[in-house]
Amino acid sequence: MRLRNPFVMESGVFTTNYRDDMAFHYPMLAKLRVAAIMLLLFLLPVYAGTYLVSIANLVGIAIIGSLGLNILTGFTGQISIGHGAFLGVGAYAAGFITAKMGLPFWIALPAAGVITAAVGAIFGIPSLRLKGLYLAIATLAAQVIIEFVIAHWDGVTNGVHGMFLPAPQLFGFTLDNDVSYYYLVLVVCIIAAMFAFNLFRSRVGRAFVAVRDRDLAAEVMGINLFKYKIMAFALSSFYVGVAGALWGHYLRIISPEHFTIAVSIQYLAMVIIGGLGSVMGSIYGAVFITLLPIVLREIAGLFSTYFPNIETIILGLKEAVFGTTIVVFLIYEPEGLARIWQNIKDYFKLWPFSY
Amino acid sequence: MSIRLRFAAVILSLLLVIGLVAGCGGGSTTESADKGDQEKSTPKQEEPAKEENTEPIKLGGIFDITGGTGDVGAPYAEGATAYVKWLNENGGVNGRQIDLEGIDYAYKIPQAVEAYKKLVYQQKAPAILGWGTGDTEAMVPFISKDKIPYISGSLSETLLTVADHPYNFMVAASYSDQARVILKYIKDNAQEEQPKVALIYNDTGFGKSPIADAEAFAKEIGVEIVDKEVVDLKALDATSQLLNMDKAGANYAIIQETSNATATILKDAKKLGLDTKFFGLNWTADEISLKLMGDAAEGYIGVIPFAFPYEDVAGMKDVEEGFALTGKSLDELNQKHIQGWFSAMVMMEGMKRAGDDVTGENIKKGLESMNEFSSGDLAAPVSFSADSHRGSSKVKLYQVTDGQWTPITDWIGYK
Repeated sequence: MRLRNPFVMESGVFTTNYRDDMAFHYPMLAKLRVAAIMLLLFLLPVYAGTYLVSIANLVGIAIIGSLGLNILTGFTGQISIGHGAFLGVGAYAAGFITAKMGLPFWIALPAAGVITAAVGAIFGIPSLRLKGLYLAIATLAAQVIIEFVIAHWDGVTNGVHGMFLPAPQLFGFTLDNDVSYYYLVLVVCIIAAMFAFNLFRSRVGRAFVAVRDRDLAAEVMGINLFKYKIMAFALSSFYVGVAGALWGHYLRIISPEHFTIAVSIQYLAMVIIGGLGSVMGSIYGAVFITLLPIVLREIAGLFSTYFPNIETIILGLKEAVFGTTIVVFLIYEPEGLARIWQNIKDYFKLWPFSY
Repeated sequence: MSIRLRFAAVILSLLLVIGLVAGCGGGSTTESADKGDQEKSTPKQEEPAKEENTEPIKLGGIFDITGGTGDVGAPYAEGATAYVKWLNENGGVNGRQIDLEGIDYAYKIPQAVEAYKKLVYQQKAPAILGWGTGDTEAMVPFISKDKIPYISGSLSETLLTVADHPYNFMVAASYSDQARVILKYIKDNAQEEQPKVALIYNDTGFGKSPIADAEAFAKEIGVEIVDKEVVDLKALDATSQLLNMDKAGANYAIIQETSNATATILKDAKKLGLDTKFFGLNWTADEISLKLMGDAAEGYIGVIPFAFPYEDVAGMKDVEEGFALTGKSLDELNQKHIQGWFSAMVMMEGMKRAGDDVTGENIKKGLESMNEFSSGDLAAPVSFSADSHRGSSKVKLYQVTDGQWTPITDWIGYK
């Protein structure tokens, strides 16, 4: 590809070979933009305080989890209300490996993913027979069962007393502060997003999408429904397990209270608000839902200097805002933030000819 | 050339403007940091050395106001806020005002973690008042690393192991101690040779917290635990569990729940006509549960670690004064207001004892130097030491007579 003026608008994609055709980003400007964002992300701890980095950690972990749920719900069309519990499986699996077996963290992280994938696959078996609401209730059962097991399997999980985890160690570094943990989360997050992006350019990903769009038609075309549905559950749970392992080692103490159905619902909200069936959507959704209470609180604090007592009113509104946001998105933009962002980009790209 | 010059001038002035804006931005942030201190608005005119001593001290609060336990969490937060207001009116801590920044975390652990980091890393709060069992446990690794003394609303015995929880302090008797006091009371006052006791609890960390300790203590003093029943926190029916308990022959039952489930249990027991005598730990016994239970409450005995607002005790005068500042009178308050007030009071006492250098470590030392700290009977006297953060193991037992909680014991322990 010739080096073009990076500041011109893109007006279409013209490629002359397959290599260019496979690329993620076509114009120079887009590539530069990605490089700039990466640079900003890697330098975040330099210009942002520890507090912002700690928020970034929460956001990063949420992104990995919501990517996982989006693979299942957004791309394969299998609903799951059990992701809070799968998060717990990942956290406890990693915790058991590092705290009780004494193995290093770099083994525990993928192992937690694999164990959660296995558990997720088992709970995914009903998906062959059940669809929609029925499957939702079956995964809700997973949530209840797993929560019960975590609370009562004292030998492995310490039951309701919770489990202390060591700070993760990688290459001799102990990641016990927010900045060092940030880099771990960031790297895992980038790998997770890259994998998800590429997954839907591959045979498996296309099969997932076919199953979502019309599973009967997909089967007629020769897609093994059982295999791909289970695979979607396993892959999705792998992501969530990794997120759980990161979350557990970030908190350093886990108890059944961390993995309730409220967490599952929050992840579903991320996927819906961000955009079902969109990798970027998962990211936007995770950022949005994690930052929503923080931003509302800051706004309340800002106004409270001018209108005293407004804080108590806005605090009460927080849950209502959360619910209203979901409803508004479902009505006006079911494809979520990812779609809104796309529309904005299209508007500027096509301006002044908006057709 | 003139064009180039003009261009340079534009660039220069732009830089100047940016610099000015950045400067103002910096100024405004320091100003907003001072805003908590509204009484004295001119700290800038004093000498820098003096300024250091009059600067307000931050205090963090992680409260549940809108979440699952908001019914008791909101009055707790109000109590803590009112105490800080009262303290500021009365000269603050060592001449410095306290700037309490309370954050509502809606009983969600990720939000509690975020709130903690904001308070400690951004606001530089040297101490924190927290709330629930789950989030307090989640803070443990952070508070030990950052050296932040932490007083939680949770009274779970696990928080008392100083080796694992070096910065957690508990201002009242733990759930386990409360259960022990009840068992001791049953043993001392029972007509039966061998009192038979049932434990009713819920399947959470909070519910299970005193169970193992209660069983061990019962064995020690020769009280028989004949039955254990799980009743969900949101249960609207406890008939089957109560029938089971009755079959096991329990004369006494100890309840570890919150108000709602306790009301269910007592109402069902009345409906079934059981003659079991019921005892409840502190979250089962307050104004809310009394209202919910109606006449089923008659004769029920509860553990009360904090005074009721209508009680005539020495410390209540300050409470009245403090809440007058927030526009509330005593008859609008409930017992959880007093608990919040008292928790803040203990923390501030530790800060007072920390002296001029208010760091987490010094506050910890200050708290650990407290010996029989009296609050005018709002709660049992509090003592901490370097190897025990158990503020007290004493509680009062109250019985419901004529629809009112009336004390039947003074501060008693189990030893």
